[in-house]
Order: sequence, then C-alpha cells, then structure tokens
Amino acid sequence: MSNAEISHRPPARRRGLAKRFGPSNRRVFPWVLMAPTLIILFAIGIYPFLYALWIAGQNVILSKPFIPRFFVGLYQYQSVIQDPAFWHAFRTTIWFTLQAVFIEFWLGLGLALLFQRKLRGVSVMQLLILIPMILPPLVAALIWRYMFYPGAGLMTYYSSAVTSWFGLGEVPFLSHPAIAFQTLIFVDVWEWTPFMFLMMAAGLASIPRQPYEAAEIDGASSWRVFWTITMPLLRPAILIAVVIRTMDAFRTYELIVIMTRGGPGNATTTLNLYLTKTGLEFFDASKAAAISLIMMMIIIVMSFVFIRVFRSRTEAAE
Amino acid sequence: MKLKDFGRAVLTAATIIPLAVPPAYAQDDTRTEAQKALAGTEVRFLQPSMPQFAALGKFIPEFEEKYGIKVIVDEIPFDQYRQKSLVEMQQGTGAYDLYAVDVMWLAEYAAAGFLDPLMPYVKNEGLTDAGYDIDDFLPRVISGTGVFNDTLYTIPLGAGPVGTTFRADLAEQAGFKLPDRFSPEFNTDYMYDAAKKVHNPESGVIGFANVPGRWFWGVTWLQYLYAFQKPENVGNEYLDKDWKITINNPDTVASIDYFVKLKEFMPADSANWGIGEATAVYQAGGAFGTWNYQDFINGFFEDPAAQATVAGKNVHLHTPAGPHGVIDPWFGAWSFGMSKDSKNKEAAWVFVQWVTSKEIQERATEFGAGPSRHSTYKSETLAKFQPWWIPVYDFMLTTTNPDERARIPEWAEISDIMGQEGSRVWIGEIDAATAAANMETAMTEAMKRGGYYIPGRTDLPKQLWRDLTYYDRLPSEWN
Repeated sequence: MSNAEISHRPPARRRGLAKRFGPSNRRVFPWVLMAPTLIILFAIGIYPFLYALWIAGQNVILSKPFIPRFFVGLYQYQSVIQDPAFWHAFRTTIWFTLQAVFIEFWLGLGLALLFQRKLRGVSVMQLLILIPMILPPLVAALIWRYMFYPGAGLMTYYSSAVTSWFGLGEVPFLSHPAIAFQTLIFVDVWEWTPFMFLMMAAGLASIPRQPYEAAEIDGASSWRVFWTITMPLLRPAILIAVVIRTMDAFRTYELIVIMTRGGPGNATTTLNLYLTKTGLEFFDASKAAAISLIMMMIIIVMSFVFIRVFRSRTEAAE
Repeated sequence: MKLKDFGRAVLTAATIIPLAVPPAYAQDDTRTEAQKALAGTEVRFLQPSMPQFAALGKFIPEFEEKYGIKVIVDEIPFDQYRQKSLVEMQQGTGAYDLYAVDVMWLAEYAAAGFLDPLMPYVKNEGLTDAGYDIDDFLPRVISGTGVFNDTLYTIPLGAGPVGTTFRADLAEQAGFKLPDRFSPEFNTDYMYDAAKKVHNPESGVIGFANVPGRWFWGVTWLQYLYAFQKPENVGNEYLDKDWKITINNPDTVASIDYFVKLKEFMPADSANWGIGEATAVYQAGGAFGTWNYQDFINGFFEDPAAQATVAGKNVHLHTPAGPHGVIDPWFGAWSFGMSKDSKNKEAAWVFVQWVTSKEIQERATEFGAGPSRHSTYKSETLAKFQPWWIPVYDFMLTTTNPDERARIPEWAEISDIMGQEGSRVWIGEIDAATAAANMETAMTEAMKRGGYYIPGRTDLPKQLWRDLTYYDRLPSEWN
C-alpha cells in the first residue's frame, strides 16, 4: 500500500461509526434515517402528552406557586367527572358537533353533486363557495358577531324587518339560549361546508364511470344510482371528511368565544371553553390537563367508532 | 459657495448643533445623580385599554424628555389582560418591568411572589423626587390597592366606587329631580320607579341600561347583593368568619330578583350586554340610566367631544341603597406594580414615582385620570374638570371596603359562578332561589379545592374587612 492510498482512507474512528450506523447495518440504519422525524415528533407530540399526563397527576395551580406540589393520583380526573359543568359542556359539545357535521356533510355533498354537472359559471361559483373556508376562523367569527349585533347588525336589521310584519321584535340571535346555539351552528356550517364540498367533489371525481354506464343500460333511477353506486364508492372520502370535521367541530373555540363567550348563561359553553376557563382564567393547570386528556380520549373513541362503522359497512357492501 | 462646500457646511452643522444644545432634561435638571445615571434605559409597561391609562399616557413624552428614560407601553384589551399578565409573570422572563394591577389581583400576584415590594424605593432619596410625599395618598386607597401582608406592592392611580349615572334632563321632563350622591333617598325602589317613569322604548329611551352579561355579574350585580343585606349581616354577605359560603339566603334571592326585574326596561336581545353595550346605548341617548365606575365617568359620559349627546346632562349617583338602607361599599382601583423579574427596576420606579406624583396626578385629571391623593382631591383642577369626584372623597376615606370582592385567589372562580348562575336566571332557565343554591354549592367546592376547609389549618388569610381600621394606617407605616 502506497503512502497516497493510506492518506485517503478515513480515520479508524469514522470507519467504526460507519460500520455501526451506516447502510451496511440493516438493523440500525433505518432508525438513523428516521431519527430527525422521531425527535421532532417526540418534542412536539409525545413530550407535551407525557407532560400533561404528569401534570394531571399533580396539584399545580399556576397562580399559586407557593403551594407545595404533590402527587394526587386520579383526583383531578375524579374532580372533572364529578363537575356538573363538565357534563353540561360535554352535552353541548356533542350536540354542536353532531348537528354541524350532519348539516355540513349533506350540504357539501349536495353542492358537489350539483357542480359535477357541466353548468355555466360553475368554476366561478366553486371559487366563491370556498371563500368562507379561506378566512381565518377568528375573522369569520368577528364578521358574524357584528352581523348579529343587537340593534345594529345587518342580520338583526333585516330579520327585524321581517319579524315586525308579524308584530314581533328583534330576533335575539345571541341572547336566547336555544337561538344562540343554532346561530353558532349556522355560522359553523357557513364556514365549513366548503371543506365538505371539496372533499366530496374530490371523492366523486375519483369514482370510475363504468358502474354508472352499466346502471344506465339497466335503466336504474337516479335515486337508486345514488344509493347503490355513488354512496358506497364515496365511502372512503366520506370517512376521511367526516372524521376530520368531527374532530375539528369538537374543538371549535374561536367562533364560540368571539360570538357568545359560552353564554347566555352557559348555553353555548363547550368543552374547549370549559378547558380554557379552567386553565387560563383559574390557572388550575392540573385540572385543565385532566380535562384535555379526557377530551383527547373522547376524540379517539369517536374516531375509532366512525372508522369501525364505515369499514364494516364497506366490507359488507363488498 | 459651491454646492460641495454648502453640503460640507450643512453636515458640520448637523454634527455640532446637537452636541452644543443640551437635551431638555439637562436644561432644567432637577434629577438626582442616581436618576441621571439611568438616562438611556428603557422601561416596558403592560396596561389594559382604559381611559385613565390613556390620560396618563399623554404625559409619557414629558417624562422621557425630563429623565432620558424611554417608556414602552403595550396596551391590550381588558378582557385579555389578566391572562396575559399572569402568563408573563409566571414565565418570569422580565419582559415587562411594570404591570397595571387591578385591586382584585394584588393578593394573587403578591402571594405568588410576582411583584417587588416598593417601600424601599419610596424611601430611596436618590431615586424618589423630593416632595413625593407618600402620606399624601388616601390611607385606605393606597393600602387597599397595594398592601399585602403589611407590605406595599403597588402605587394607585385613581380609585373609586362604582355607581349609577342618570340623565338629569330626562328626569326633569318626566317631572322629577334626581337626588344628590349618597342621599338615602336614592334606594332600589326609587331607582326602579324613576326608570319606569322615563322608560319609553317607542321614543327610543329605555329606563335603565343594565349589564347582565354572564362575565359581568361579579362586578355589576355584586352591589345589589350588598345592598339587599340586613345591617346585622354586613361582613357575612357571602363568606362567614370560617370561610364558609353563606350566599344561599333570602337576601341574595331578593337581590337577584331585583336585578333581573330591571330586565323589563331592556330590549329582548340584551342578555349578553356587557359594560360596552350598556354604555354605548347610554352614550347614544338611548337610556335614562346605566352603570358606571368612577374612573370611567370622564371618558365614558362627560367628554363633550366624544359624547356630545349626554355630556353635561348627567347626574352621577351611588348604587342604590337596599331595602334595609345598606349601600354597597365598592372599592375599585388600578395601580402600578413592579415585576420581580424586571431588569430595570430603578428606572421603572423613577417612572412610577413621577407619574403618581402630586403634580402629574393633578394635571392628569384634566384629561380624565382620577385622584388618589389628598392634594388632588382638594385641587382646583379636579373641581374644575371632574367635579363628580368631590362627593366621593369622604366615602373613600371612611366607608369604602377594599375587600368588598374578597381578595383571595378563588375570587375569579367565585365571580364566574355568580355570572353563570345569575345569567341563567336572566334568561329564564332557573329561578333566583335555585341560582343562590347552585352558587353556594359551586363556591363551596371552589373554596374546598383552595384548601380553606382543611381541618387544623392555621395559615388562612385574615378577613380584613371585619376591621377596616387595618387599612387606615399612614401609608409610610407599611413595609
């Protein structure tokens, strides 16, 4: 071996590292490649989760740092579950999510079916429909808050013009418990139906033409084609859209906090508002951590149920 | 002269003139050596958007000129202020040197060790201007606002009670004259009858613009809770001497019923009205009466430029006495507190002592700031620009109760419970008796979680409202 050859060889230590972690080590090398992603995932996903788990087992109140911290076991979870305000917020959240997602799904699907037809001005209409979804939720909530503002909002003004024909006063859009709740659902539907529309339109575009042609030859009605061909083949898109929207609607915050702040009374207080009140108004970090973990469990269970139901139906259809 | 020479001359002049002309603070320099050494530093101050802070803000350039210390103010909406300030303090970054502190939050901030004691600075002659005179502050105002565990933590701006404001001209048109402030004639029955006489929604005037929004009950209903008590129950309005919740009683029920009865003067869509909505209706001439806070009167009702419809037509009264003659002893105040994590404590104090000095406080009353010093109350400036403060002087010396809203960390939750249950009565979901019972259950749970009922616990805070003479010490006597 010449001197030149010797000088181009990597030092022994580097050779050792390459052997241990390099492509030649098939057991370790994949982990080396995944390491940056795993580190980021741990830092932004797993660590906060573990930290919340740890905090929920303590008695941490941020505004009372002088109180000694100690382990309280499952007390925080028990305290949440025994709190009537939690169950009220839970019912409100579930009811809000179900109503909003149900309406958004059918409206989104209807629009997607409508725009599937080659009508004039469809592309412009599609663009206009997407505008609410592009707006930041905070901005959308503020716009609607002013639209429903008592005595001065545009919606209040025009609805009053109608109700006055019947001898009625201004519609209390945000002041009556039931009406305020439905008003929030209306705004949520306005904002998120475009998302459902996009997902359904993409799903419809991916359905092959052959089953429709076969059905046409067989003389099947539009209604029958919709229920026996479109809906079953659209199921994967529906599953993704409904799961995403359900998780999102379950966590709705900006819209409610801007428009009603959970009122009147506690008619529109959802779990997210209950959580932020506990954590950021009362600064009870441990109870807030317990609430957030319970919310996470609820979302996981709901998603799991959706996926199971859709899969079993898809398998049955196949 | 050639263009090149002219340019050179201009450059030379631009360099020399600033060196030759001393800065304003050097021309009439009353600064101490320690204050001079602070020139060039920066002080960051976090404050809520409120008229009294806006009034003081007009003086900041003058301070910067005099002391050479730059003051950077971050202003955020009031409803986000507590959250933002507590998070900042809790993180301990020292991002802000000074915080605006509401009287309600002092115990929470001071007990947590977020604030620096101020008396060492007050007594530091190098940092405090001669003539600052801490004993010029009203004893109950400075101690009620800034003292925790016998230690001074904050210096107050204006401090005053909440009350009611009515249109004297509308009363006159309806054939009656409103009484004077603190007259026993002005009680809950009188207020209801007066509002009823003027109430005429068809002509665009409602009898009383109340504040029933869920988030405000701890501020706007509390006066009625106090007013409806019997004199022998004073001090036990919602807490007894053992920290047990006592709110579930017939007086509370009567006070909720009265507060909700005022709904008959309001539009159907008013259940969420906060201070902003009620004030806006009044400012536009749409209401005969409304809620006020003493420090907001100038900014909200009496500024001729901004409230042309109502300015100069108002009578500012106390909150009405209840059926047994009790008047709410409200105490409201904002103050300056210094962060324990500040890196510019001395400069921050120089700003605080200047902006709360006799001279600046008196001058600031012209722009809407309130008084907290004897000298300001007695000044001609206050009498000229804000005469409605004069009747409040004796009240703030002898009657006001800094613990009207118990200054314990659980207050935020207690206040929230009042709002949650009270507003359910307003919207017709439950009756007042159920609300009072629910309040007691939920508040008891909050106190229990706060550790107030641990058997044998001996370190519970003192209930200072049972002997208000505690607050009447001379300001300089505090630690």
